Amino acid sequence: MAHPLKPALLGAALALASALVLSVPAEAKDRFVIDLVNEPSTLDPQLQWNPDSYYVYRNIFDNLVTRDDKGEITPQIATSWKVLSDTRVEFEIRDGVTFHDGSTLTPEDVAFSVNRIIDPKLASPQQGQFDKIVKAEATGPHSVVLTLSGPYPALLAQLVKLSIVPKHVVEAVGNDAFNLKPVGSGPYKFDSWQRGVAVTLTRNDAYWGTKGPFAIAVFRAVPDAATRLADVEAGSADLAVSLDSDLAGQLAASGKGKRLYTLTERLAYLRLNPTRPPFDDKRLRQAAAYAIDKEGITEGILGGLDKPIGQMVTPAHFGWFEDIPGLPYDPDKAKALVAEVGGTPKVEIATGSFFDQRVVQAIQQELADVGFDASIRLVDTPTFLKLIQQGAQGGPALAVSRSSCACQDADGALYQLFHSGNPWTIVENKDMDAWLDDARATLDADRRLADYRKVSTFIATEIPVVPLFQTVAIYGAAKPLQWTPTPNESLFLNRMTWSD
Amino acid sequence: MTAFLLRRLGQALLTIFGVATLIFFLQRLTGDPTYLLVPDTATQADIDALRHALGFDRPLWVQYLSFLGEIARFDLGKSVVQTIPVADIIASRLPYTLALAAGALLVACGLGIPVGVALALGRDRWIARILAGLVLAAQSMPTFWSGILMILVFAVTLGWLPPSSTGGIDHLVMPSVALGLLSMATFARVTRTALLEELSKDYVRTARARGAATGRLLLRHLARNASIPVITVAGLEISNLLAGAVIVETVFAWPGLGQLTVQSILARDFPIVQGVVLLGSFVTVALNLLTDLLYSAVDPRIRLGSAR
Repeated sequence: MAHPLKPALLGAALALASALVLSVPAEAKDRFVIDLVNEPSTLDPQLQWNPDSYYVYRNIFDNLVTRDDKGEITPQIATSWKVLSDTRVEFEIRDGVTFHDGSTLTPEDVAFSVNRIIDPKLASPQQGQFDKIVKAEATGPHSVVLTLSGPYPALLAQLVKLSIVPKHVVEAVGNDAFNLKPVGSGPYKFDSWQRGVAVTLTRNDAYWGTKGPFAIAVFRAVPDAATRLADVEAGSADLAVSLDSDLAGQLAASGKGKRLYTLTERLAYLRLNPTRPPFDDKRLRQAAAYAIDKEGITEGILGGLDKPIGQMVTPAHFGWFEDIPGLPYDPDKAKALVAEVGGTPKVEIATGSFFDQRVVQAIQQELADVGFDASIRLVDTPTFLKLIQQGAQGGPALAVSRSSCACQDADGALYQLFHSGNPWTIVENKDMDAWLDDARATLDADRRLADYRKVSTFIATEIPVVPLFQTVAIYGAAKPLQWTPTPNESLFLNRMTWSD
Repeated sequence: MTAFLLRRLGQALLTIFGVATLIFFLQRLTGDPTYLLVPDTATQADIDALRHALGFDRPLWVQYLSFLGEIARFDLGKSVVQTIPVADIIASRLPYTLALAAGALLVACGLGIPVGVALALGRDRWIARILAGLVLAAQSMPTFWSGILMILVFAVTLGWLPPSSTGGIDHLVMPSVALGLLSMATFARVTRTALLEELSKDYVRTARARGAATGRLLLRHLARNASIPVITVAGLEISNLLAGAVIVETVFAWPGLGQLTVQSILARDFPIVQGVVLLGSFVTVALNLLTDLLYSAVDPRIRLGSAR
């Protein structure tokens, strides 16, 4: 349909636009659209805990402490903290922070937030991350004291995930209503939640810290990765989460966007259960470790952004050591070890549908190449999680899995997996228990490091697991977006900038 | 007629009860949602506490009885993941599913019926062969592929339509076409068959002998007589469109029930899956009933209960 006025209007618009561009060099971005995979499960930060939820609610709420882009723990609502005794830590609470309803954030709100999440009645899935905290008390106009059941060195690392909720609002409206209309103190305010479609936030212009760069932020649910990519290419989304390396490569090649990525603290590993045949024979565990070409997997299959790793912690964790590389890829040694044991050991690789099956197939092939009779047992995710939570005796002989404590501390990464008596563990060893318990019960960082060195050395020599690789998080972004993704997979809007 | 209706209603209730029982037990065979809700490093105590809070630690028959009690009170329960009432979640998604189904049905009928007529009337000509090929192609394209292809062409390259999500009517175009093209073939095939059958009947020959033109014949006689199988298919296709939009909804980030169902199955959000399946069985049963009633309206010979 040709409209006679159209060319004239277009010309006028162009002239106006160029005038605007000339006078205002950096055009502000008003509406920022983020494509998530699913909609948030909840916006109550003390309930569900999954990336699609905390991508959103970490912008609505402030946490007690946070990590900067370099990964250091830095003040947020707490301005400083002091260890009073092995079991008591005092936090100084920031002055002049207001919630979105205008009320002041007080130490009572902080104490309430802690006591709420550890209350069994809330049944928060996050409860276990804070279970060393016995209680929290507001002890002064600016201070809160946390009482612990024992010395707990990973306390701050866990408190990075503790969002502060307003006591008076939660108590007045109840948990269900709070979840539907959350009120926080963060750089963005909750505006609306169109179920299944999008959550909209607006900028909190009264924010105490760095304000957000966008007036409005829309978090949409776009389950298909190819669609998220198309949205960025078409300009209908400015940022998309969870792309694989192929899609991110397409985006970069199209010139319609760019890829941003970071190594996360999530790592993939192979569990070789030392209590069950055939891996009760250490030589076969060594053979399996030598058989796997981690570099081949990350470069050949995953696109080269994931990073092979030799420990069960990543460089993003406290307790990682540069000089513990793990066993190298050496198929000849692996073959020799299998031949020494004799026969073709039959192994079944248990795996869940959340794991990249191309990697599992590569592992199967590599095990077969050195003389194992390897097969794959693929089950759905809940069944798999149940399977590997049976402890050492009940768990499968061989499994491929992924893990992240989202705490960047060796305690979270290693304790549940390698201490006897835990559902996830496959190791029952008194020395390991002693080291892990000691490292958990002292605030002396050097002593903790010495303990974790022993733990990681034990893992590298006894090989109950083969650490495979540190996984990467890849985002697709509009070109003007300036942002550094962090290993703990957060999306802090007020750490982004926009420049054409 | 009343007795017939009552009998059919009884059957319908029994069907829905059977579906409810089946879906309840089938889901519980597929694992425990608690494992998906806790963080990677949860202790056994965390898992047990959450399972208790969700009620999954109760014996299965207790859970089943409480589920039956809830649906008897028209209460679908609360989502395990989102912790809000299932009825609210379904109610927020249903309009999108209905809009998409309507759009797809429009595409399917709007293209399928004329194509079917053309195939029947021009059955030996080259145009029919080409049309038949196109119909086959439309039916053979998987939607996850044709959907992405449409997004790339019309949204990314040409910029005519928004690539995904919801908003104005323009957001509905591509999902409707992607979904509608699949059923279009069914409509075309059924229309062609029904029309050909009618064309071979005596009254058509008589009408032709009296000099009735094809157009008049089609409108006055054939359209009504050939519409019965088409109505049957429409009834089936509506339930298919309501249930089968899973892939289209996922590709276009369309927030309908299909997408919700898949996500809920993956998350083992039992109450939502139960709610959607119950709704689906209710709709199917109701549509079947409605189709039967429509038959009797169109064809007096199968008007039930009337002994004329």
